[in-house]
Amino acid sequence: MAGETNDSWLVRHEFLLRRLHSLSGLIPVGAFMIVHLLTNSSVQNGPGAFQKNVYLIHSLDALLPLVEWVFIFIPIFFHGIFGIVIIAGGLPNTSSYPNASNIRYVLQRVTGVLAFLFIVWHVFHMHGWIHADWWIDGVAKNLGGAQFKPYNAASTAGLALQSFVVIVAYVVGVLACVFHLANGIWTMGITWGAWTSPAAQRRANAVCTVFGVGLAVIGLAALQGMWAQGRGEALEEAIRIEDQQYNAAVQAGILKPNEEKRAQPSEAEPGREASVDQASARSPR
Amino acid sequence: MISRSKTSPEHVEVRVLRQAAPQQRSYWERFRVAYEPDMNVISVLQRIAARPRTADGQDVTPVAWDCNCLEEVCGACTMVVNGRVRQSCSALVDRLLEENPAEIELRPMTKFPVLRDLMVDRSRLFRALEKVKAWVPVDSYHDMGAGPRQSPEAQQESYPYSQCMSCGCCLDACPQYRKIELIQRDDETDEQFAARQAATYDRNFVGPHAIAQAILFNQNPTGQMNADERVEALTAPGGVQVCGNAQNCVSVCPKEIPLTTAIAQAGRAATVHSIKRWFDR
Ligand code: HEM
Ligand code: HEM
Ligand code: SF4
Ligand code: SF4
Ligand code: FES
Repeated sequence: MAGETNDSWLVRHEFLLRRLHSLSGLIPVGAFMIVHLLTNSSVQNGPGAFQKNVYLIHSLDALLPLVEWVFIFIPIFFHGIFGIVIIAGGLPNTSSYPNASNIRYVLQRVTGVLAFLFIVWHVFHMHGWIHADWWIDGVAKNLGGAQFKPYNAASTAGLALQSFVVIVAYVVGVLACVFHLANGIWTMGITWGAWTSPAAQRRANAVCTVFGVGLAVIGLAALQGMWAQGRGEALEEAIRIEDQQYNAAVQAGILKPNEEKRAQPSEAEPGREASVDQASARSPR
Repeated sequence: MISRSKTSPEHVEVRVLRQAAPQQRSYWERFRVAYEPDMNVISVLQRIAARPRTADGQDVTPVAWDCNCLEEVCGACTMVVNGRVRQSCSALVDRLLEENPAEIELRPMTKFPVLRDLMVDRSRLFRALEKVKAWVPVDSYHDMGAGPRQSPEAQQESYPYSQCMSCGCCLDACPQYRKIELIQRDDETDEQFAARQAATYDRNFVGPHAIAQAILFNQNPTGQMNADERVEALTAPGGVQVCGNAQNCVSVCPKEIPLTTAIAQAGRAATVHSIKRWFDR
């Protein structure tokens, strides 16, 4: 094709990059989000059930950062950054052509940007971005980040969700991500050629809508459940159960003691007993 | 005599976005045309051409526009009427006044370089048809006999695609199709400029009309022989992957061509083609 030789790398590999972007939205990013919201919603069965799931994930131990980077962070970065490139290449025109699919074209882009902002902030808020002491203790915690402690899972996540602004941000973030995935699966079916005729596209749309509503319910249930564990008697009970599970697991030799993954490691004595008052004395933010 | 609606106006107010030549600034001008029954936008433009005077009495150059068939089959008269791209020959004044009794607004298409007033240069649209080889090659002096037979079902599937009149409505409404307007440099010959223009067009979105035509010729029993070349063109830079599934194209196409079906079929062909190529080499 004429002029191909002086095209940029981005232009020459446009087809492959677009297809990788499309695929990465579902695998692994979308798949991660589904599992993540399902795991989080297990808190509806009590803090112990959620804690068990977190232990399962953290049993990856030294492999965990590798898995996080290869299957979660790098794909999200790729999908998100290339998504911004795609957004910049379009010219929304819903005011002239207010068709349903055109509005969804714009919403896919708006929710993409919201997802970007939400995920960057959310991972900071809970996880702290990187596991380095100088960063977590010196910077992240002072800015309200790294609030989640995997060995006090429900209680620390719940405590992190007690402010009204934070809850609103999570509701918006979760709903934006869920719409983006459900609508994205629908557009993906056209991109890859799974549903071609208008009738097939309508049927696929119905399936994606049911999927989206279902995932939204699961996500909001996770959020409500987590929030409820972060206040009042439920909080004390959650910490009691979590500490019990921790001590039992350490005693049984199936868990290496790790105070950094527990609430308030700086104040805790090594090998402390379950201490309800100490943890619950923290004031909700 | 059929009594026309009592509310028929005496005049039709028309607002036209004008431009004297390529690259020049555009400006609005307002005209007032005596109402006649059964007018369409072309007859309104004819009245303006007959007496090019603005609503506030200024004599101006006549508004330039393009048209040919006057029955919505050539696509030449396409423009943006009341904010929506369509053929002006089939845009009936009575219907437009139902939408907006105050005025009719005429603008040139938004995605093509303006030549003058409502006339645009749609050569990129035709370049895209070349890019995807939207034809059946006939490359012989000898009589090859009749082509392969086509089943009625296959004909039924292909027929809608064959109605495309290359009007460009689908392109004008597509949020992923962006306007390209190049200027010939002083040190550039006409041939060099044409080559640069073609290369630029080729690396940008081909558009839904070309995707549908590629599918049409890939469905044709003789056209099938070049199917791989067309899919190759559809996955080159500016190919089907640029589509963002806004589906405006299918909603504005005056021929109701199933463009989004073609896009999904092209997506499927591209999927199969790239997997095959990956394992075949
Ligand atoms: C129901 C609302 C949500 C809650 C309660 C929640 C909770 C959490 C928690 C507690 C962590 C920390 C995990 C750790 O540090 O080990 C986390 C990490 C993370 N969350 Fe969420 N999350 C929610 C929604 C979402 C959504 C919608 C996304 C979008 C994809 C998302 C993406 C992530 C990512 C990428 C991480 C970091 C991955 C990792 O640490 O392994 N979360 N989330
Ligand atoms: C991090 C911020 C994100 C941005 C900026 C973003 C941006 C985009 C954009 C612009 C598209 C449309 C692509 C096109 O029309 O060609 C898209 C599609 C998609 N996104 Fe995202 N996205 C983000 C996060 C996510 C997340 C967290 C998920 C999964 C939960 C996801 C799943 C998808 C899927 C499945 C598609 C459909 C791909 C297709 O139509 O072929 N995205 N994204
Ligand atoms: S596909 Fe429809 S809108 Fe597009 S050029 Fe052909 S006839 Fe016009
Ligand atoms: S479906 Fe694709 S080609 Fe059609 S208007 Fe939308 S983005 Fe453009
Ligand atoms: S003049 Fe041919 S379509 Fe209007």
